[in-house]
Amino acid sequence: MLPFLKVLARNLRQGPSTDPFPFAPTYTPARFRGRAELDAEQCILCGICRHVCAAGAIQFRAAEDGSGMEFRVWHNSCTYCGLCAHYCPTKAIRMTNDWHLSHKGEDMYSFAETKFVKLGQCAECGATIQPRPAAIVEKLGARYPERFMLCPKCKRETLANHAASRKVIRVEEAR
Amino acid sequence: MLNKFINKIAPRSPWLYRLNAGSCNGCDVELATVALIPRYDVERLGCKYCGSPRHADIVLISGPLTSRVRDKVLRVYDEIPHPKVTLACGACPVSGGVYRDSYTVNSPIDQYIPIDVVVPGCPPRPHAIIEGVALALEIWRKRLEEGTCSRS
Repeated sequence: MLPFLKVLARNLRQGPSTDPFPFAPTYTPARFRGRAELDAEQCILCGICRHVCAAGAIQFRAAEDGSGMEFRVWHNSCTYCGLCAHYCPTKAIRMTNDWHLSHKGEDMYSFAETKFVKLGQCAECGATIQPRPAAIVEKLGARYPERFMLCPKCKRETLANHAASRKVIRVEEAR
Repeated sequence: MLNKFINKIAPRSPWLYRLNAGSCNGCDVELATVALIPRYDVERLGCKYCGSPRHADIVLISGPLTSRVRDKVLRVYDEIPHPKVTLACGACPVSGGVYRDSYTVNSPIDQYIPIDVVVPGCPPRPHAIIEGVALALEIWRKRLEEGTCSRS
């Protein structure tokens, strides 16, 4: 009997179901995929984010003086799929849950996240190598952390010296 | 006198017009959600979707402007009276989104149509669209006061 009375009572109890958004803050899920953000300290310039980006929104540009690379993700081309964050080996890219992205038309080509990533230096000779943040040293260079910080040439020399010294010892032992 | 009065009351009820420039319908679903579902309810800002471009104030464009639909979109766009405000919904109108570099896509759309507000996303969240409409509303109010339009 009179089923609308039930609905009426429920609506009075619960209040309006409309989200108060433009006039009051709203709820954002914690894992909502919004604007992508790069932590330049963690980036190793491997370029996997550019490779997996479905919309081609990520660009790397080399600095003129060769001191690093400029990372750029254009939010107006990004599809917010989160593949870059998923494949990033050091978790340098993160999808924030910031969705307040509407902007005026004159800014639409400059609406991007731009970060400068500095190249690393060889611990021995000072040649430029890929950056070596702590996250990747733990992952790939855990066994020989000192050797991991070297450029390929210095690494080869160190290995050769190491092998040669061991051989000398063995020859001496044989005598 | 009458003009001033109309300019004062008009920003209370901007009429929205949805223009699909070859969109995948993702953004159009979100645009429909913004108006039809009580949870988002863009009508609180006084907005209303209208069927005819001649009644529209704010144009919501979605899609990368495919070559097949380009001339029709431009014809409909020219039917909308000045001062109008254009809101590009999603990534496609600005950059082409995932359709970029396709031979049938004419984005960026601003080589044909001046864009006033951009709401990025693929598709954008309904809240983000409401935020963009609120921004477009401000621009429209300013244009009514100054008597300017997007082409001038």
